[in-house]
Amino acid sequence: MAVLSNNNIARAIYLASKEEGNKAEFYEKVVRFLAKRKLLSKTADILVRLDKIANDEEKIISAKVSSVEKISEKTKKDITEALSKRYEGRRVAFKENIDEKLLGGFRIEVNDEVIDLTLKNRMKKLQEYLTHSAK
Amino acid sequence: MSTNNIVENLKREIENFSIQIKAEKIGKVLEVFDGIAKVSGLSDIKSSEMVAFPNGAAGVALNLEEDLVGVIIFGDFSKIKEGDEVKATGRILEIPVSDDILGRVVNAIGTPIDGKGAIKANKTYPIEKVAPGVVTRLSVDQPVATGIKVIDAIIPVGRGQRELIIGDRQTGKTAIAIDAILNQKGQNMICVYVSIGQKDSKLRKVEARLEEGGAMAYTVIVSAGASEAASLAYIAPYTGVSIAEYFMDQGKDVLIIYDDLSKHAVAYREISLLLRRPPGREAYPGDVFYLHSRLLERACRRNEKYGGGSITALPIIETQAGDISAYIPTNVISITDGQIFLETDLFYKGIRPAVNVGSSVSRVGGDAQIKAMKKVSGTLKLELAQFRELEAFSQFGSDLDDSTKRTLERGKRAVEVLKQLQYAPVKTEHQVATLYALTKGYMDDVPVEKIKAFENGLIEYSERNAKVFYKEVAEKKMWSDKGEEELKKVIEDFKSNFLAR
Repeated sequence: MAVLSNNNIARAIYLASKEEGNKAEFYEKVVRFLAKRKLLSKTADILVRLDKIANDEEKIISAKVSSVEKISEKTKKDITEALSKRYEGRRVAFKENIDEKLLGGFRIEVNDEVIDLTLKNRMKKLQEYLTHSAK
Repeated sequence: MSTNNIVENLKREIENFSIQIKAEKIGKVLEVFDGIAKVSGLSDIKSSEMVAFPNGAAGVALNLEEDLVGVIIFGDFSKIKEGDEVKATGRILEIPVSDDILGRVVNAIGTPIDGKGAIKANKTYPIEKVAPGVVTRLSVDQPVATGIKVIDAIIPVGRGQRELIIGDRQTGKTAIAIDAILNQKGQNMICVYVSIGQKDSKLRKVEARLEEGGAMAYTVIVSAGASEAASLAYIAPYTGVSIAEYFMDQGKDVLIIYDDLSKHAVAYREISLLLRRPPGREAYPGDVFYLHSRLLERACRRNEKYGGGSITALPIIETQAGDISAYIPTNVISITDGQIFLETDLFYKGIRPAVNVGSSVSRVGGDAQIKAMKKVSGTLKLELAQFRELEAFSQFGSDLDDSTKRTLERGKRAVEVLKQLQYAPVKTEHQVATLYALTKGYMDDVPVEKIKAFENGLIEYSERNAKVFYKEVAEKKMWSDKGEEELKKVIEDFKSNFLAR
């Protein structure tokens, strides 16, 4: 029996979910399958991968935005526009995160890409610049 | 400087500062152990791309797996935690280079460690580079004068050659390398000494010795000490050759010494095993041959059209109990253009440098020898070979015919002449004169124990009286009849004086 990677399972679940039918029954089937294959302990990882696959397929950009205070609706709209242009996605799924340590500005994380526009990052860059040029 | 001044300066600097914030690829540390980090994310990373850890440590991505990247960390990994952000830099590992690096001691990533302050560098060189191609190369035909008689005469090294120095511990491998560096003074050569996994005390000794001999002016030392991480020992020789390439690109000739590649292979084995790459023979990974071949292939002599310059490599391999058929020694022997084989037995017999002339070979160096040296060394090689053959026999009986006796006596004197003290390189012209006297039989009636005194005296005497001969050898690389006559007369004069004493 070939070994199934978590990624394979997640993809299979995603493809199966596309088919017509009773959703409740489908979920039950998935859980039964995982239990039968003794994969329940790996569900967390499978879910993460499923999330990624679904986002990839449906061109949803999941962005995590961190800022010092809640960002305004207008900024949110601007960010959404910029991101859908950059990543050619249809929809932007927002996840907001408040972090006072950032001092100001905001930081956008999409998958493993980070656009850091916080004051903290600028300060760090300035520090590097000043200490480097002093050499 | 007053406080106001400082503030003004600072203001100006800050005004000049502009940042460009770009999207960065970021990964998260999943686990850290023994100088290795497993990182998630970093989807578009290249192989051997540099990554930056939050504490300022650098690393290089070596293993690219489906959703993990295996990174080797340069420097202190104890402050890296699980969950730390790792930034991809988009650059292959590079080191800063400049002419100011001459005379300095740097570590494997090009940072000075000699306490003489920062090195101003305006350029960086990637540490991994594809070796120059066939069309850019020239064959080896210029000599590297090592100043060691046995090497310059019998196992000559040419510019652009790769000559392995191999032998057990304590046989004088490093001594040969250091002598070779010391002798490059005024020979238009830049030297790079790469110390891999050596004791810091030894490095200190080498540096002091080079400093004393005035050799640091044209030498760079790259060091990855025994106490440093295996990752640094792994990249140190590549760093060294990159520095050498920087000078070669200016059309200069460079001599690089890797001391030693056995420790380099061991460091790479450690990294590979930690990265869970499958072990092969002697637990070395499958690509350990490529590890050394791609390094030594970067030694070359380039033709003028492509900028000229050369890199001569003298890798060192330490064998265990004279076993040259172990994995790494056979690999490196097959990569290099010959080897200088040092033996413990000879060393303790007092034959120093303890070069075993029979097993040592230089595959391309012969073409690089100057004509005068070729003339005398040809006879010498033959005589030594005959001597070795007869030496074993002669121990049984005393009844030997005259010609055998003569060969034996000549051989004994040849061995004596080829002995040389450490840190006492001999000029090529002097070597030629001495070997001329030996091979023409002028030393045959000098007692063996007086050969050294005879040799030293002859050099001193001929320096004053055989000026034509020396001038011809130095400038035209060969003597004329006039020069030969002069030298013959000088040797005869000196000998009659010497024997009468």
